[in-house]
Amino acid sequence: MRKLIEFKNIVKSFDGQVVLKGVNLNIYENEFVTLLGPSGCGKTTLLRILGGFLEQDEGTVIFDGQCIDKVPPYKREINTVFQRYALFPHLNVYENIAFGLRIKKTGNDIIAQKVNRMLSLVNLEGFEKRNVTKLSGGQQQRVAIARALVNEPNVLLLDEPLGALDLKLRKEMQRELKRIQQEVGITFIFVTHDQEEALTMSDKIVVMREGEIEQIGTPLEIYNEPANAYVARFIGESNIMDGVMQADYRVRFNDKTFECTDFGFKQNEPVDVLIRPEDFDIVKPRDGVLRGTVKSVVFKGVHYELMVETQTGTSKTVKMNVVTQHDIVNEAAGEKISANDFYVDLDDLENKELTDRDFISIANAQAWDEDNRDISLTHVNHNIEKAPGVYSITFGTEKKTEVTVKVYVVHPEYVEDARHNIGISALDFFITPDEIKESMAISTDLKTWASAEAWNLQDDSSIEITDVKFDFDPAEITEGSYDITFSTRGMLYKVETTSAHEEGDRIGLSFGPDDIHVMHKEVAEA
Amino acid sequence: MKSFFRMTYPYILWIAVFIVAPMFMILLYALTRSGNSTLTFQFTLENFGRFFSDATFMRVLLTSLRIALLTTVFCLLIGYPAAFFISRLKERSQTMMVLLLTLPMWINMLLKTYAWRGILLNFDLESEFKVFIGMVYDFLPYMIIQIHTSIAKLDGNLLTAAYDLGANKWKTFLKVILPLSVPGIISGITLVFLPAVSSFVIPKLLGGGDYVLIGNLIEIYFLTAGDWNFGSAISLIMALIIIASMWLTRKLDRNAQED
Repeated sequence: MRKLIEFKNIVKSFDGQVVLKGVNLNIYENEFVTLLGPSGCGKTTLLRILGGFLEQDEGTVIFDGQCIDKVPPYKREINTVFQRYALFPHLNVYENIAFGLRIKKTGNDIIAQKVNRMLSLVNLEGFEKRNVTKLSGGQQQRVAIARALVNEPNVLLLDEPLGALDLKLRKEMQRELKRIQQEVGITFIFVTHDQEEALTMSDKIVVMREGEIEQIGTPLEIYNEPANAYVARFIGESNIMDGVMQADYRVRFNDKTFECTDFGFKQNEPVDVLIRPEDFDIVKPRDGVLRGTVKSVVFKGVHYELMVETQTGTSKTVKMNVVTQHDIVNEAAGEKISANDFYVDLDDLENKELTDRDFISIANAQAWDEDNRDISLTHVNHNIEKAPGVYSITFGTEKKTEVTVKVYVVHPEYVEDARHNIGISALDFFITPDEIKESMAISTDLKTWASAEAWNLQDDSSIEITDVKFDFDPAEITEGSYDITFSTRGMLYKVETTSAHEEGDRIGLSFGPDDIHVMHKEVAEA
Repeated sequence: MKSFFRMTYPYILWIAVFIVAPMFMILLYALTRSGNSTLTFQFTLENFGRFFSDATFMRVLLTSLRIALLTTVFCLLIGYPAAFFISRLKERSQTMMVLLLTLPMWINMLLKTYAWRGILLNFDLESEFKVFIGMVYDFLPYMIIQIHTSIAKLDGNLLTAAYDLGANKWKTFLKVILPLSVPGIISGITLVFLPAVSSFVIPKLLGGGDYVLIGNLIEIYFLTAGDWNFGSAISLIMALIIIASMWLTRKLDRNAQED
């Protein structure tokens, strides 16, 4: 194929914001090329530079062997289908399509011949006299395509032309556009942010991100061999895991070593590992390469999407002591007061400078008057020392209504998971049955009561505790001691399957070496 | 819906008392002879006969139409380019320019016309030319604002599309901008022609005593001669001419759009 367009190191910025950072791209004859990327990636800017509506700050555009940097748009052999069609409202369908030919002073008989051919190409025979403002979105779209193609350009630019259409019409126009491109046999350059559109129609996809090209390839290449995690995430559903390339054809992830088809990485290079959700086979647990539990099932029409946990996260189990507290009544003052015993960890005591206010909140100390109105607590006295042991703390109101509870100062107990760099901590706690019964969001409250937290051991950033396990019914709670387990997210895989499964099922996952795709880690931007 | 309709009663009453009734009175005066008693009307067409059979009146009518037409054409010739260039400016400058243009409209027309009288006193010009200058000055802003509005609301993508299809700037103007600003031109013409054809302050102050337009004629017959019947007949003829000219421009506009 002959090279038709060449972008050489195109740089463009708007108001100091760099939109294109030196783009190099070749486009060949008769190609259906899609520029794909999220909004703001520079794809439309690149298209407008080619159309001549914008001028690049640096770089050159070569068209058919000629530099066209100084050629005005109306002299370029390029036509555009605009985002909102931009049909001329004062002209009917026929005259809209004939516009370019009339500018060139083409004879009426030739215009009629060409316009009619275009009308049948886009399936709009009989619409000649129609007012364009009264057409449907899809019909306007067809007129816009015909109006551009009638000039017999070498290249047709399409700037997100299907964005305004509904889903069904969009699918129909995708097929139409592909058919028209094959029929007229010219280069189409199509701009979209819709990955499905790109996969359906293109011969070649150019994936862009923040003014740079991430990858150029056929739809199949882009889908099966994405250059990095960004491309993989943008195109299709994906599972991307941290891994290490131990040697050629050997990658380690999920604490296991797998055979794969990738090579050419440095030894022990950290990599991103991609497995597409549809590449998993679900088998009996003992036959699986990985084993796991189904955490959620979503029905997607043709298939189910399962989230399968193959490794539980890091967890910490604490004791919840449920005890009924009797309110202390001060008859003389007409007041009642209550508080719970509580645990404090030595680290917090030393590092956090706990105030009276903190103790009131940890002990859940409260006082009321005869009408059940809250009364503020005016004094807190305690003998807590910075050493493990049992101490006492007294909370009181202005009228000397007081309650004394026990404080257990304990050594901090962390669970550290060095392999996954996760630390997690939680404390035993005392609670009344009423507080549990009144809780609106029991998992969240349990996390608060137990001061449960998890963090990254390397950078101290906080990690979400996604699972709170307990085996009691909050509505029926009675006094006693209960185990509560807090854990972080484990290893989760998105799996597509056509067979039904239920949450909690134990299953095995199987996949072959060619289902694994290993990618270089993206270089973190400075 | 019915109660909503009832809310329009005050307006209907207003229209009936202050618009329909006076117009009916004019019609009645135009079709009757003076000296009517309250109950007996002497219907006649002689007021109209008198107007059309007298060469002087016909000359006044033609002069009025001629100067109104000239004013309109000249306003369009100055106004269109002005409106076009304003619409090419940045949005803020556009607002500023439109404000500057409308500024003279805040001043009473009588005052402006007196000012022109003072200026033109020093020049030895024909009465008609002086009146023409005064009219163009007074009515030009209406033309510019109407056309500017229609060009400013034009979708910029249409121009890009025209360039894309091979039209240079001049062809884009001829084939896209001009046809799409026709509605603005039509309303500009209407807003200039109507007051110009019936104006009486401008010819009276700038034309001197010998220069009479149809507006002055009506004024003379109502106020000086006290012949309300003939005055009403002239008003009616004027109204019919205006209606006819408006109908004509609308029709031309529609034909232009269907082409």
